[in-house]
Amino acid sequence: MGHSGVARESVPEIRVTDAEFERFRDYFYRKTGIRFEDSKRYFVDKRLIQRMRQVGHEGFREYFAFVRFQASGKEFQELVNLMTVNETYFFREEYQLKCMVNALMGEVLHHKRSGETVRIWSVPCSTGEEPYSIALYLLEFWDRIDEVDVEIVASDIDTQALEKARAGVFSRRSVSHLPPWILKKYFEPLAGGYHRLCDDLRASVDFRRVNLCDPRDTRGMRDFDVIFCRNLLIYFDEASQRRAAETLYDALNPGGFVLLGHSESMSRITSLFKVRRFEDAIVYQKPL
Amino acid sequence: MGLVKRAEHRAAPSRPHIRKYGRDLQGLLAQLHDDQAKARRWAARDLAAHTEAVSALCERLQVEPDPTVREAIFGSLLTIGTEAVAEGLIPLLRGEDAGLRNGAVEILQQLPDAVGHRIAALLADSDPDVRIFAVDILQDLAHPDAPAWMLAVVEADEHVNVVTTAIDRLAEVGTPEMVPAIQAVKDRFPNEPFVGFAVDTALKRILGNG
Ligand SMILES: C[S@@+](CC[C@H](N)C(=O)[O-])C[C@H]1O[C@@H](n2cnc3c(N)ncnc32)[C@H](O)[C@@H]1O
Repeated sequence: MGHSGVARESVPEIRVTDAEFERFRDYFYRKTGIRFEDSKRYFVDKRLIQRMRQVGHEGFREYFAFVRFQASGKEFQELVNLMTVNETYFFREEYQLKCMVNALMGEVLHHKRSGETVRIWSVPCSTGEEPYSIALYLLEFWDRIDEVDVEIVASDIDTQALEKARAGVFSRRSVSHLPPWILKKYFEPLAGGYHRLCDDLRASVDFRRVNLCDPRDTRGMRDFDVIFCRNLLIYFDEASQRRAAETLYDALNPGGFVLLGHSESMSRITSLFKVRRFEDAIVYQKPL
Repeated sequence: MGLVKRAEHRAAPSRPHIRKYGRDLQGLLAQLHDDQAKARRWAARDLAAHTEAVSALCERLQVEPDPTVREAIFGSLLTIGTEAVAEGLIPLLRGEDAGLRNGAVEILQQLPDAVGHRIAALLADSDPDVRIFAVDILQDLAHPDAPAWMLAVVEADEHVNVVTTAIDRLAEVGTPEMVPAIQAVKDRFPNEPFVGFAVDTALKRILGNG
C-alpha cells in the first residue's frame, strides 16, 4: 500500500518513523504489559496517527510528550482503548463455566464458614460478556445459588469497554452462543439485532477499571475464590506474564482457582500454582 | 442469598491493617526480612519499582526459604532487568541449590543485553558446571551470536559434559554449516561412547532426517 494517490484535500501527512515506533512500543509495553510485534506496526501506526489528527498534533515527538506528561492520563487511556483487542462473547469456552458450577464452587464452599460470600473476579472482562456469563451460569446451573451469596467483580484496562459492559447492550454475534431460552429469559430484544440484558443481572456485576500490570490498581484486589483470566496473557511477554501470575496469586484466597484461556498455560509461567485436572477443564489452584 | 447486587458490594474488600513498614525503599527493604512469608512476598514484588534494590533482592534469594517469595524476587529482578541484575544472578550459578540455579538461568536468558557481554567469561570459567549453565542460558538467549558461541564450545571446550550439552542444544538451533565441527567431536573424545550417540542424534536433527 503506497501513498501515491492524489490527495483530495491537503491533510498534512503524518508519519511514524521506525525509531518513534520503537519508543512508543517500549513505553506502551512498560505501562500495559502488551508488547507489539513488528507485524503489528501498521495497526499501531494507524491508530497513533488517528489520535494525533484528533487532538491536533502533527508530529510524533510532540504528541508523545503530550501523552506521557498529561497529568490526567486521559490521552494514554484513549490509546489503550484503541490498541486493545476486545474480542469476546457470551458462553465463550463454556466448558470452564461448567467446571465452575460442577466442581470449583463446591470445593470453594468446603473451605468457607457458612454464610461467607464467595468472590469471583473476571479480569479482563472486556465488554462484559464473560462476567455476565458467569452470573447466568450460576443462576441457571448451580443448585446452591439460593443458599450462598456470590459477589462478581469484573475489571479491564479499557474504560470504553467497561462503559459498554455497564450499559449491557450486546450485538447478535455476541449472544450467538446463548441458548434461545436464556436469551428470552434475561434479555430484551432491541432494533438491529441488539439485545439488552435485564437490570437485575447488570446490577450483579461490579465493574472497575484495573490495569493488571499496575500494582497500584491491583493491590486492593484481594480475597477472591475464583478468577477468570482468559485471553489476556497471550498478549503479554514473559516478564509481564510472570508479574500477572504473581498478582493473581496474591488476589486469591488459599485454595482459590484461576481459569486461563484455552491456549494459555500457567505451568509455562510459574510454579506457584497446583495444576488441577477436573472432568470439564484444567484449572490452576493456589495451594491451601 | 444469590448474586450480590452492585450497591451491596462492600467498597473495600480487604480489611484495613496497621502499617508496620513504609512503602518506600527503606521500608520495603526492611520488610523483605519480615517473619511472615506473605509480607516478604509483597515487599519483593513492590521492590520491582526500585532499581537500587537489586543487590538486596539477590542477597535475600540466597537465604529465602519460601518458594513463593523466591518467585516474586525473580519476577522483580526480571522487571528491573539491568546490568546489576545479571551481575547479581551469575554467582548463583555456582551455588548448590538447583532451584536457585534454574531460576537464575531462566532470568538471565531473558536479559540478552546484560548477559551478552558476560558470556565469554562464563564460557571460560574454570568450573565445568558453570560452563554448562552458560550453555543453558545461550539456548534461549535472544542474541544473534548465541549459536556461534555454542559452536565455539563444541569446537574448543575440553570437558566432555560441557561439549555434549552444547551439542544437545545445537540439535535444536544448529545449521548445516556446523556439521563438520560437530562431527569432529567424535575424534576429540574417542573413549566416550556417549559422545558418538549425542553427535549422531544432533546431526540427524540438524540435517532433518531424524
Ligand atoms: C480478548 S479480551 C478477553 C476478554 C474475555 N476474558 C474473554 O476471554 O473473552 C482482552 C482484554 O484484555 C484487556 N487488557 C489488555 N491489557 C490489560 C491490562 N494490562 N490489564 C487489564 N486488562 C487488559 C483488553 O482491554 C481487552 O478487553
